[in-house]
Amino acid sequence: MIDTLKFLAAPITLTILMAGILSYFGNHILSRGIIFIDIAVAQIAALGTMIGLLLGYAEESLNVQLISYAFTIIVISIFALTKFHKQVIPQEAIIGIIYCIGLGIALLLAERIPGGSNFISKTITGNLLWVTWGKVLECFVIFLVIGIIHLVFWKHFILISGTRNGLPYSLWRTRFYELIFYITFSIIIVKAVPGGGVFLIFTLLIAPASAATLFTDSWKKRFIWSWIIGTLGSITGIYLSYTLNISNAPAIVTLLGLVVFILAFIKLTARKLSLNNKNQAV
Amino acid sequence: MISVLDFMIAPFIACILLIIITSYFGIHVIEREIIFIDIALAQIAAFGSAVSLVINKLGISPHEDIHEHDSRTFLAYVFCLIAAGLFTLLKNKRIKIPLEALIGIAYAVATTAAVIILDKGAGSDVHIHDMLVGSILWVSWHQIIRLLIVVTVIGGFHFIFRDKFKGITLLYQGKESNTTRPKLWDFIFYFTFGIVIVEAVYVGGILTVFAFLIIPASTSALFSTRWSRRVLTAILIGCISTILGLYLSWVMDIPCSPAIILFLAVSLFISIIIKALLKLKTH
Repeated sequence: MIDTLKFLAAPITLTILMAGILSYFGNHILSRGIIFIDIAVAQIAALGTMIGLLLGYAEESLNVQLISYAFTIIVISIFALTKFHKQVIPQEAIIGIIYCIGLGIALLLAERIPGGSNFISKTITGNLLWVTWGKVLECFVIFLVIGIIHLVFWKHFILISGTRNGLPYSLWRTRFYELIFYITFSIIIVKAVPGGGVFLIFTLLIAPASAATLFTDSWKKRFIWSWIIGTLGSITGIYLSYTLNISNAPAIVTLLGLVVFILAFIKLTARKLSLNNKNQAV
Repeated sequence: MISVLDFMIAPFIACILLIIITSYFGIHVIEREIIFIDIALAQIAAFGSAVSLVINKLGISPHEDIHEHDSRTFLAYVFCLIAAGLFTLLKNKRIKIPLEALIGIAYAVATTAAVIILDKGAGSDVHIHDMLVGSILWVSWHQIIRLLIVVTVIGGFHFIFRDKFKGITLLYQGKESNTTRPKLWDFIFYFTFGIVIVEAVYVGGILTVFAFLIIPASTSALFSTRWSRRVLTAILIGCISTILGLYLSWVMDIPCSPAIILFLAVSLFISIIIKALLKLKTH
């Protein structure tokens, strides 16, 4: 048991860290209705890595990572500027288009790089079990810095996310906050995806925030509940994956996903029951 | 030159059929803001196939005489039906989260659950690659006829009841609509859409179908709000991009799906520029 704990300690710590920062971002993502942004960002980052490789740099070298970051930040900045007073094409559709073009170009480039198609599937699964403590510390520092930036702009971000029609500030002021939001977000995604894989990151973003939003409107309560649900779900998932002998990222994804659907149905039926009771009372 | 035509005529016809149906569905998808529904439905169908694969292996299948491929498609449709029911039920005012979030979660769960069931790691990247891009270049006439039947039946059905479906999409935008029995029509929408996606992905691959669905419909949104005009613009853009993409892939010897997607993207950028120029002129 002690050995298992030692073995799982680093992955569990990283998952809890990720659950913390991702469920915070998830509430923003959900309110803005840009659900698939992290898959698009991960795709763009993978494309950046491939461009770095094509330029002749070694895999996992600093140059490739820098090119990947620079490329991702440029694309996400363009995305941040697509916010208008009156949105003709929804932002989620723009994300879809970015993802689609990014994947298309990646497929073209994959033919030119030996083992290129590996890059397309590599990001999907991730390698949670082989996380080292050094990597955990690195993630902790980055998450902390970004968390502090978000504390500074806390009110503005919430106001922008909460406004569905029109803009709360003038066009360029909104776009300035949007830039900070999306750049910090994409740094976290680029950092987290190689460890957890796209689907784990996606689920940690969306599922806890969805579960919390089902039952409350207040931002504070949503943050706290999604933190609790995300952390509990991750720990239970890792434990289940260990006892049932299945890989841990799929276990967490399936568990958290099913929890959201079950909660949604509870919400639906609970409401109906209370309505029926009221009718009977009348 | 003759050989190019011979070689390209089947993929070209398949693409045109796909474009005709996806241009129409794409507008619904964009207006409802359920952009990634096609990827989710395709993945859920694939999960259905995976389940039937496992059932066949365990030997507990009650229909042993059925051809393996048929039983796989059958379960894929059953899973699509369940998903259609799920999405219809959960599109409710009491569920305050956007439907796209639930679609996303369904997508993630279906994908990872398939991984758990099949419990495989090796060779999965080849599989993923095939599923994404498809093999539209090697489409057979048998597949095209099957696609033609699906497109005609479902396209015709949607044409006859177009006002009902438009009404439901208005409801999604929070507007008033006079469609009676919205839940039933919503369910029919998702189920017919699911059938189209399963058949289309079987021919063109997830990525191509996704591009056909989203990019032409987005481009047409720049120029018009009327449905008939939007569908026609989308079909036109799709056809031009397909011809150019297939030609480029032939000349430069690159895979054709990414080439078509690149031209769709180019057409979108040109349209944005035209739109900006038109705006400058009117001001």
